[in-house]
Amino acid sequence: MVYNNKKLLLSVLWILAGAALLVLSITEVLKEAVYAGMGGALVAVGVLQVVRNLRYRKDEEYKEKVDTEVNDERMSFLRMKSWSWTGYLMILIEGIGVIVALVLGQRTIQLVLSYSVCLILVIYWISYLVLSRKY
Amino acid sequence: MEGEALKNRIEEIRNEKGMLQEELAKALGVSRQTISSLENGRYNPSIGLAYKVAKLFGMAIEDVFIFEEE
Repeated sequence: MVYNNKKLLLSVLWILAGAALLVLSITEVLKEAVYAGMGGALVAVGVLQVVRNLRYRKDEEYKEKVDTEVNDERMSFLRMKSWSWTGYLMILIEGIGVIVALVLGQRTIQLVLSYSVCLILVIYWISYLVLSRKY
Repeated sequence: MEGEALKNRIEEIRNEKGMLQEELAKALGVSRQTISSLENGRYNPSIGLAYKVAKLFGMAIEDVFIFEEE
């Protein structure tokens, strides 16, 4: 079961959190406009998830479609492969970014990108270590 | 692996049994695209899915999937 009561409750919590942010933003308790945006986004995501959850419970055809999409091993493989490519490309792009920032004399950008590459590599090594113990 | 290939007779056996890709996909609990990719050799199944396919066809795994070493 992809959509269960726990996920429905979580979606309702997103809506409540988003609504709270919106109210606080409208009443100017929170001054920054970014909070209203975050609130709106949380409400939208929550409502969308609630609609999907309810449809999953009522519409058998939709339930079957969602279950197949989630459990299909080729789709899982594609999802994993896509994440793998994303990580690999991100390191390459950031690496190029470091060189470009170095040439342009953008020290701050160069440092941020360098630390980001290091962080990704550290996460990779930790993930590898954890997964190699598991499998 | 280099020099190794896993081929299969899924399309041939499915046609012999008069099944559509949709029907086979539904029986196996996978998407139609997965069946299409398996038949075209673009995707190799896990041992679990290979077992399910063979069982559904009432055959042994090695009768459906052919491992070729070049």
